[in-house]
Amino acid sequence: MAKSDDCIHILQGLLVFGNVVIGMCGIALTAECIYFVSTPQGLYPLLKDTENSDIHAAAWIGIFVGLALFALSILGIIGVIKASRTLLLVYIILMLITFAFEMASCITAATHQDSLTPEFFLKQMLERYQKSDPANSDNEVTKTWDELMLQNHCCGVLSPSDWVEYTSAFRLTHSDADYPWPRTCCVLDAKGLPVNLDGCKLGVSGYYNSNGCYDAISGPVSTHAWGVAWFGFAILCWTFCVLIGTMFYWSGIEY
Amino acid sequence: GVTTASTFVLDQPRCIFDNYGNADIWLVVALEDAISTFNNTAGPGTPETAFQSFPDPVRAYMTLNATLAHYPCPKPDGDIAVLRVGSETSCAQDASRPTCNGPLPGPGPYRVKFLALEGSVPVAETVWSEPIMLRTAKPPSSIATTGSGHSAGMIAITTILSILLAVLLAGLVAMLVFWRSESCGGSSSFSKPESVTVRRYNTHHVYDQPAARL
Repeated sequence: MAKSDDCIHILQGLLVFGNVVIGMCGIALTAECIYFVSTPQGLYPLLKDTENSDIHAAAWIGIFVGLALFALSILGIIGVIKASRTLLLVYIILMLITFAFEMASCITAATHQDSLTPEFFLKQMLERYQKSDPANSDNEVTKTWDELMLQNHCCGVLSPSDWVEYTSAFRLTHSDADYPWPRTCCVLDAKGLPVNLDGCKLGVSGYYNSNGCYDAISGPVSTHAWGVAWFGFAILCWTFCVLIGTMFYWSGIEY
Repeated sequence: GVTTASTFVLDQPRCIFDNYGNADIWLVVALEDAISTFNNTAGPGTPETAFQSFPDPVRAYMTLNATLAHYPCPKPDGDIAVLRVGSETSCAQDASRPTCNGPLPGPGPYRVKFLALEGSVPVAETVWSEPIMLRTAKPPSSIATTGSGHSAGMIAITTILSILLAVLLAGLVAMLVFWRSESCGGSSSFSKPESVTVRRYNTHHVYDQPAARL
């Protein structure tokens, strides 16, 4: 009996430890998702109007799942210490529901991360940057792109030739003799005017930004999506182990 | 330099017309089929060579009007050594500027040469260039955004999580089905810590003794 008692105590200890870790991970997940939702990343307008706002939905689900995990971990610790069958049964069922939600959030984040290819951003940029008809309809996309190009010293998605290879909403109002690419692609001086306008139009290096913006876009969005997806996946694997342990513990409790 | 749908870029004629310090350097831009009929004595700025009437009926126009002073030889460092054909948009429709370097109206092919004129007498020229084609821009709808496929990571996450969830649900079902059974947990049964009670158990012989006395 002593040995069985020791095993029980070890199992109890492990379950309590497991629940403590789940509680802390729940808080971390909530904090991470709140950060992603509230940071003015500046790229949200590019993702907002498309089907890809689901990455944002995944982050919102992550916030609530994180809080639920924290609350349930406390319930689990109480249930394990008191060895109460009812409490642990409630705990297991609610944890399974939370598991299912978090699983949905991870898969959504991973799937939509896959769909953010350069072609997607290229098409969006060409169709919506400086679209003047109807007026002011895509101001946010235009402003986001301008800021992106100014801050990262880049032009286009893959390179400035994106503007030359494809027709675009921008091309409808700006002839390619005067504006092979938008003025924000030029190296600008302190007043916001091109340092050498002819050099910029000609594509002389040093007077225009010759690299594409895709790296600057995909960096933050990737971190976001993989943060939600993979951290959630790690938490779920740990939760799985704790739940299996809890089920064994539950089936061994005398009633 | 970059070739767009209406402009292209040439090397400036530096160190070519060095012997003709007094000449004006003109650029002749012609359609492919007009190079054999182009006459060097055609004057720039005339209706026969006006940009605004290009490509129909004018088949070759003259533009640039530079002098050797514009193209010092050798090239000083820091100077841009290319010339953009099609850069002047302000005079493209202005018939009073027939030597406008306006944007080209179509994708070409075009052939160009430089011509040096002293007064109206041609004194030097380059050979006709190879045919130059301009770009034709594609519409953005031609960009394929579908078929990006699923990455290995996403497939791994989905598969593994589905398996884990299935195992957990199976465990829950097993728990509930074997609620009252001792088969799974019998050997590790243990009591609840605080609920141990001692029941008073009266043995039979305590009650029998008074009866035995009688």
